[in-house]
Parts: sequence; C-alpha cells; structure tokens
Amino acid sequence: MSYFGQQFLNGIGSGAIYASLGLALVLIYRATNIVNFAQGEMGAFSAFLIWQLQQWGVPIILALIGAIILSMLIGGLVYAIVVRPVQNREEVTIVIVTIGLFLGFNSASGAIWGYLQKALPSPFPAVTWYLGGLRISGDLVGTCILLAAIVLGLYLLFQHTKIGLTLRAAASNAESSMLVGVPFIWMMIVGWGLSAGVGAISGALVAPHLSLDPNMMITVIIYAFAAAVLGGLASYSGAIVGGLLVGVSQSLTTAYLPSLGADLQVIVPLGIMVAVLAIKPEGLFGRSVMARV
Amino acid sequence: MKLLEVKNLNAGYGRINVLHGISFAVEEGSVAVLLGANGAGKTTTLRAISGLAKARGEIALDGKSILGVSPDRIARRGVAHCVQGRGTFADLTVAENLLIGAFRRSDKYAIRADQERMFDLFPRLRERAQQKAGSLSGGEQQMLAVARALMLRPRLLLLDEPSLGLAPVIVNGLYEALHRINNEMAVNMLIVEQNANLALELAQYAYVLEAGEIVLAGPASEIASYENVRAAYLG
Repeated sequence: MSYFGQQFLNGIGSGAIYASLGLALVLIYRATNIVNFAQGEMGAFSAFLIWQLQQWGVPIILALIGAIILSMLIGGLVYAIVVRPVQNREEVTIVIVTIGLFLGFNSASGAIWGYLQKALPSPFPAVTWYLGGLRISGDLVGTCILLAAIVLGLYLLFQHTKIGLTLRAAASNAESSMLVGVPFIWMMIVGWGLSAGVGAISGALVAPHLSLDPNMMITVIIYAFAAAVLGGLASYSGAIVGGLLVGVSQSLTTAYLPSLGADLQVIVPLGIMVAVLAIKPEGLFGRSVMARV
Repeated sequence: MKLLEVKNLNAGYGRINVLHGISFAVEEGSVAVLLGANGAGKTTTLRAISGLAKARGEIALDGKSILGVSPDRIARRGVAHCVQGRGTFADLTVAENLLIGAFRRSDKYAIRADQERMFDLFPRLRERAQQKAGSLSGGEQQMLAVARALMLRPRLLLLDEPSLGLAPVIVNGLYEALHRINNEMAVNMLIVEQNANLALELAQYAYVLEAGEIVLAGPASEIASYENVRAAYLG
C-alpha cells in the first residue's frame, strides 16, 4: 500500500509539472486562439534566465521573479515581431511559425548557455515530511500550492477584471473587439506575455527535477500537450486534472509494468489520452462548440 | 453642422474598386439611410468609415479626418459599427457583451445604468443575460449587437442591414427600439438597408447607391415618394 501510495505521490509530482506547462498552453490558446508549440522551449529559455541571474548573485526567489518578468517581455515581443505578421494567415502557417520559434528558442539557449547540463536549485525549501510511511517533499507541496495559486489567479484575472474580459473579447472576435475600441494587438501581446510568464514558472519547476539543458522541455511539452488536450485545451482545471492523470498513470506504469521499460511507458498515458478523446472528443472539461444559425 | 462628412470616397478590396468617389454627409442630430441593391457598395461604405476597409478620399468626423485611423481608435472617438450578420462575442455572456461594448468608458455607474436601459429596451436580453451570446437566436443576436453598439455611447451608430434574415415581427420590434433610441438617447445613425420602408420612416435623409455611385439624394420622405425608388427598394 505504501509502495502504491509513494508511486502515486511521485506521479502527482511529475503530473503537477506537466500541468504547469499545460496551463501556459491553455492560457495562450484562450487568449489568442493559437496553439504554441514553442511554449516548452520558451520555458527552458526562461529557466536559463533564472540560472543566469543566480550566477550573477541574485537570490533564487528574486531570480525567479526577475526571469518571469523578462520572459513576459520576451513573449510579448515575440508576438509583436514574429507572430503578428502571420496572424491572419491560415492556421497551418501559424503552426509552422511556432515550430520555427521552437527551433529558434532551443538553438538560442544552446548558443548562449551551451549544451552542458547545469544545476538549478528548487525554489522551495528542501524539507521532507513523513506521513504514514509516505515521503512528502517540500517540493511537491510547494509545486501544488503554486499551481493552485496560478489557476486561482488566472480565474480571477479572466473572469473578474476588465483586462480579462477584454482579453476574452479579443480572442472571441477580433473584428468586433476593434469595433468597440479594444486595441487588439496589445491584447495579443498581453496574452503572449502572460503565457510566457506561466511558462517561466514551469521551466523553474522542471529544471531542478531534470537538469537544466536546452532540450529538457522536449518530453515535458509532449506530456503537457497531452494534459491540455485531455482537459479540452480551453480549461485551466482541465489542464491540471489532465496533467495529474498523465503523471500518475506514467508513474504507476513504471512501477507496476516494468516490462514495458523506460521507452515504452509513454504508451500508457498516451493510450489514456486517445481513449478519452475517442469517447469525448471535446476533452474531459471541454464544451462542444455549439452554433445556431 | 455636419457630424460625418464623406467626400470623393474610393474604396474596395484588393484591386477591385467598389466605391467610385461617393460624397454624402450625416447631419448632427439626424438619421440617414443608405439604400441600394446587393453589391452596390453599402457595406464597403460603412467599413471604410469605421476603418475596416482601406479607402481614399476624405472622411471627417466633427471636421477631423478619420481616414487611415485604426478601427479601435475610430471606435474610441465614438463611432459604433454594427456589422452585417453576427458581430457579437459568441463566447461571452450577454451581460459581458454589453460590458465590453462600454470598453472606451470608465463611468462605472452610468455603464450599469445603460446596461439596465438596454435590458428595458430589449427584455429578451435580460432573460438571457447569463447565457453565451453564441446560443442566442438570430433575432436576439441582432438585438444584442445593436445594444452592444449603444453601450459605447456612440456619437454615430452605423447599422449594416439590421433587418437581414429576421422574421417581419422581429424586424418591427427592432425598428420600434431604434425609434426609441433615436428619441430618448439622441443617437445619430447611418443605416444601410435593402428593404427600406422602415428605415425611411426613421430617417430624415436618404441616399441611393448604385454600382458604387450615389444616384439620388434628398429628404427621406421625398425619396420614398419616387416611383422608381418604390419599385426597386420598397416592394
């Protein structure tokens, strides 16, 4: 039982990390209607920013906050310079541009900081609690609290502030938003900035678990996409539930089906995803799009 | 005093020129109607005024040029454009649609009061206040589009075929509301219509657009009495 419990908790730990990047994906999708394949690589770049600030002697928490702010600025600039010119093209064009951004950020991290693995400490205290034979780390608790705080913050921002309403309006109907006076491009810049900020937090959570290198997000982004799609791509709580589901199923697969090996364990979480989408194509928390004529 | 003055306006899409140098005006405190068949250039005219379509010539609001100004800036100057078909925010609730309509304003209490006023004007919207706009019927969406445009407290309201695709009884209700809006809120309007009976009753001035040129202009009552206009637009 305690073996199961421990594996379950481990799954929650990695699932929370997938969920954090999944949140960034949902955020940018809701705010700009764009699926950003570069979200993970932008998060890795942000993790390097934390590392760099730390190297310059900035304490880890301040380095984290500084990197979040820098990442938001970079995210906004990326939209203004790279994405805006293709905003009105077909979706395929935008997808290809975000894949280009994926390669660009990956190479930029490598070119600036090199491919040698670096260590980035966890922003949470290194304490461990023992509860009925279960080992609970400060990292796990901190990650979960942080995630809950982000979801609450995003909910309040989008549902209860004028800027949130404006962001939703711009995403819902670009032309109509301009016709009520909304500076549409600025809203897109804010959406990219916000999601880059959440992506930076995700990078800060991933790096201490794996090690900081330009490719650290490549597997994470796959699970994060699985999490976001499981939740319906437009639901914050859906991304959280999806992330935890993927993390726990992955952890339990490793523990109880060792014969699958490290390479094949991916099958189980992705199998669950396929099964869910086959039964409920709009995702666990998604609403099917309804149109009246 | 001219609120809107359009002179020698040319506009189109890509290489195709739709408007061939049209000139007209909307007087302060009045309603003008622009009549014309499909493809005459009515929608293009409205899109040029609100900044959605590229144009050459002169467009002035209160004597100041708004040609080449971005649509969001023109809206913040007080021009509300109700586009043809669905201009509502489908993913937002009815109440949220009205709130975002007041984006350029910061007078919280007046915004609340105006929201109530819209609900009085269109009681169906009050019933559906918490429903997503995308789930409304065509007539309800059109009412919401007009109400949302009014939330901007426009100096000039541009209406693009508000009656299109609606049942006659709903069209009558909509025009009754427009009469009330005109009387109570003193909103200047430029209405584009194909079926023009109701629009001509509301308007003081009318223009007839044919193939990108204005072929007839005059007081609405006078235009309504022309035999060829009656045949073409009044059915």
